[in-house]
Amino acid sequence: MITQERYRTTVKELLANGSIKMAIGYKPGSTPDRRRPLFIRTSEEAEQLVLDSTCVQNLSGYLVSEGLLSDEKRVGIFLRPEGVRSINILAAEYQLNADQIVIFGFDSTGREVRPLDGRSAREFSGLLNELKEKPLQIYKEPLLERIEKMNAKERFDFWQEEFSRCIKCYACRQACPMCYCRRCIVDSNQPQWVNTSSHTLGNFEWNIVRAFHLSGRCVQCGNCDRACPVNIPLRLINQRMANEVLDGFDHFAGLSATQEPVLASFKKDDTETFIL
Amino acid sequence: MAKIGVFICHCGENIAAKVDCTKLAAAMGEHPGVAVSVEYKYFCSDPGQESVKKAIREHNLTGIVIAACSPRMHEATFRKACAEAGLNPYLCEIANIREQCSWVHTDSEMATEKAMDITRSMVEKVKRNNNLQPIEVPVTRRALVIGGGIAGLQAALDIANAGQEVVLVEREPSLGGHMAQLSETFPTLDCSQCIMTPRMVETAQHPKIRLLTYAEVESVDGYIGNFKVRIRMKSRYVDMSRCTGCGDCITKCPAKKISSEFDCGLGKRTAIYTPFAQSVPNMPVIDKASCIYFKNGKCKMCEKSCQLNAINFEMQDEFIDLEIGAIVVATGFQIQNTAVYGEYGYGKFPDVITGLQFERLASASGPTAGRILRPSDGKEPENVVFIQCAGSRDPSKGVRYCSKICCMYTAKHAMLYAHKVHGGKTHIFYMDIRAAGKGYDEFTRRAIEEDEASYVRGRVSKVWQENGKLMVRGVDTLLGKPVTVVADMVVLATAMVPQHNAKEFAKTIGIAYDEYGFYNEAHLKLRPVESSTAGVFLAGACQSPKDIPDSVAQASATASKVLALFSKEKLEREPVIAINNEATCAGCWGCVLACPYNAIEKKDIRDRSGRLIKQVAYVNPGLCQGCGTCVSFCRSNSLDLAGFTEKQIFAEVMGL
Repeated sequence: MITQERYRTTVKELLANGSIKMAIGYKPGSTPDRRRPLFIRTSEEAEQLVLDSTCVQNLSGYLVSEGLLSDEKRVGIFLRPEGVRSINILAAEYQLNADQIVIFGFDSTGREVRPLDGRSAREFSGLLNELKEKPLQIYKEPLLERIEKMNAKERFDFWQEEFSRCIKCYACRQACPMCYCRRCIVDSNQPQWVNTSSHTLGNFEWNIVRAFHLSGRCVQCGNCDRACPVNIPLRLINQRMANEVLDGFDHFAGLSATQEPVLASFKKDDTETFIL
Repeated sequence: MAKIGVFICHCGENIAAKVDCTKLAAAMGEHPGVAVSVEYKYFCSDPGQESVKKAIREHNLTGIVIAACSPRMHEATFRKACAEAGLNPYLCEIANIREQCSWVHTDSEMATEKAMDITRSMVEKVKRNNNLQPIEVPVTRRALVIGGGIAGLQAALDIANAGQEVVLVEREPSLGGHMAQLSETFPTLDCSQCIMTPRMVETAQHPKIRLLTYAEVESVDGYIGNFKVRIRMKSRYVDMSRCTGCGDCITKCPAKKISSEFDCGLGKRTAIYTPFAQSVPNMPVIDKASCIYFKNGKCKMCEKSCQLNAINFEMQDEFIDLEIGAIVVATGFQIQNTAVYGEYGYGKFPDVITGLQFERLASASGPTAGRILRPSDGKEPENVVFIQCAGSRDPSKGVRYCSKICCMYTAKHAMLYAHKVHGGKTHIFYMDIRAAGKGYDEFTRRAIEEDEASYVRGRVSKVWQENGKLMVRGVDTLLGKPVTVVADMVVLATAMVPQHNAKEFAKTIGIAYDEYGFYNEAHLKLRPVESSTAGVFLAGACQSPKDIPDSVAQASATASKVLALFSKEKLEREPVIAINNEATCAGCWGCVLACPYNAIEKKDIRDRSGRLIKQVAYVNPGLCQGCGTCVSFCRSNSLDLAGFTEKQIFAEVMGL
């Protein structure tokens, strides 16, 4: 509660002195444990701000809404550490200027919410480097461990079963801060590489293409996972890809705003564990 | 509506023996969009091509598929035929039913079925082909020759004498390379320096040649006709615009006991030095590692002795950026480190020397003024043993190839020795005498018959020292007996190996090399002087071991290739390049990073009032090589490759 009050005051101050033109945060949602995004332009709107452990959505995707940042004015945003990583990736991919983003960082343990030091993405580099050193401990998932123990056939069957529920609504894409393309590859029908029908092949194609497009870019914020109306554990695929690029290329997505995309760059000291 | 012509070639028996061409033609004739489907014995022949042209005109074809050999073989032939018949040449596709089908399968029925799949998929592709126009790029008429040995000099002079500009880069302080180190040359025994130095002077004075010595190629970007080359001018610490080459500094330099590289360690030089008396340019450099001033901060004797103030200890490396149209690589060779032959005692016994060291002893400008003297005591050796293939043709030492020149120069050494030391005895251990070349066999016969060189067919197993003599234990395989020869001097015919940095340098210029580090030609028989990179040519021993006549001939060949390239004002390039869909490009610049040719730029999209709307990727058609790396990277599928568009590839795959 103290954190929420402090941040309300800070946002009001920054809006009043013109440091930011808007702050993106959370407000109450349809149920007590749901939150929806809040776009604060006035101090009255700041009163609606909620900040507690249920604020889990990564809001960074809203920053790349067309035209929002084109006036070069600064925008504030409430972010967990994963969200800060998203800002770095978006900056590295030239979708925004990191200096234009004022970060209100927070994290939670249990129901406790605490603020994070720093206002610009650069100031979080210490924290992010710590995350890189112990990513698995932080993002450990019991289901992921179960899947890793499966053999290829079992794993294939598992995902076939999961993907069979996919209805190709593309909610995962809409929720993902990394899916900023004006035209997604699935919307390209000349030729139609990815089948749009929700049958096994089409569902596999879509979800695997998406996993590849997120390799080295996903920060495991869980937006896709939560957005999925049929509860496919999409986060696990991306988690696995993140582990692969970390092992193979020592690449932890979103460490800095100058990080080169893992699939478009080459380092002489890549571990290249995949080359036999 | 597509009207496709399918032309199925028998290639004599090559295809027809396995693939039922009649069945294939009939099947293709029924495929939707195919207007004509015929077979013929040799479509690449003149009547064959004529029939293709006739069909294009008669049936008003919108595209053709030639089901024949690999496109590497005849794609150009049939594209030309297409153009002559009035059809855009890029509406011609080749279905490879020879290398990828008839040659590799035994079952006729299955091969025929596969040939149908291959041909059908190409028909589906060609239906979606577009008219493409070749891209014209300008040619910079300036050649870069890398290496100032005999090959580099010859190439540079030939190009310059034809009136084109040349930049010649040499790593060492002087031109000359290995040939300048040699005494007399086989098979005519003319003095190497006497035929070499006039070439060096001519090169240095040529108005069309810009000479950069003590310089190295730092980076090469661009492509044929339009290379951008950065040269590092290593600091000589001597101002070349002031120095007259008087040599006062060299006389005054107190660091006199530095082993001379040019004399292969048999002579000494100073820290400020020219490699040899006839150096071109005849201006010294300071060897920073040996200079007393650079080591201790005190001395500067050279600076004091120079009346023209040409010495500058503050000099830094400088960079020169050049626009270059063609590159001749003539970086030469080095001799194998003889330390790998511990059994021959090189380095342990001072009188075991390499062939190149023997050249320096025999050279009139060498450390002994041309007298053959033992390095250990300065006495004339009475018995000399030559060991051929000391490194070459020896897989256990990593060199499986023949160094090509050793048989000849060893015969020459025996001859020179016989001429200089009357009554001296020579033994030559050899595996085979390889003397193929004009006047070569006669030369080795002369060494045996007139100069009494004693050839022993066999290998040497060990050399050791006993009572001040070198004992050489070998085998005479013709007698079937071991032999021991007592010698005063042993000369090893060491292998020619690539330059120590040959592989890294190949990566700098972007050319291929073999397992040893010799540079690969585009085709061993038909394109022996072209590298695999267009616009980069190979001359001399950097490609494989070569003697002087071969190096010179190859150098002149590269010059003719360069001149042919420079005879055009513009080059036509394949229009297979990436194209960006600016409407869908998200501007993530992954393609910019992924492009190995730096061909992708950022382009501003502005509205009518000039306000920036967004930035998108723009592919420079002059730089793009059509590799497709960006296409596969692009997440939004905005990039596509002309001639291999996703639409075409998709149709091709679906046609299978």
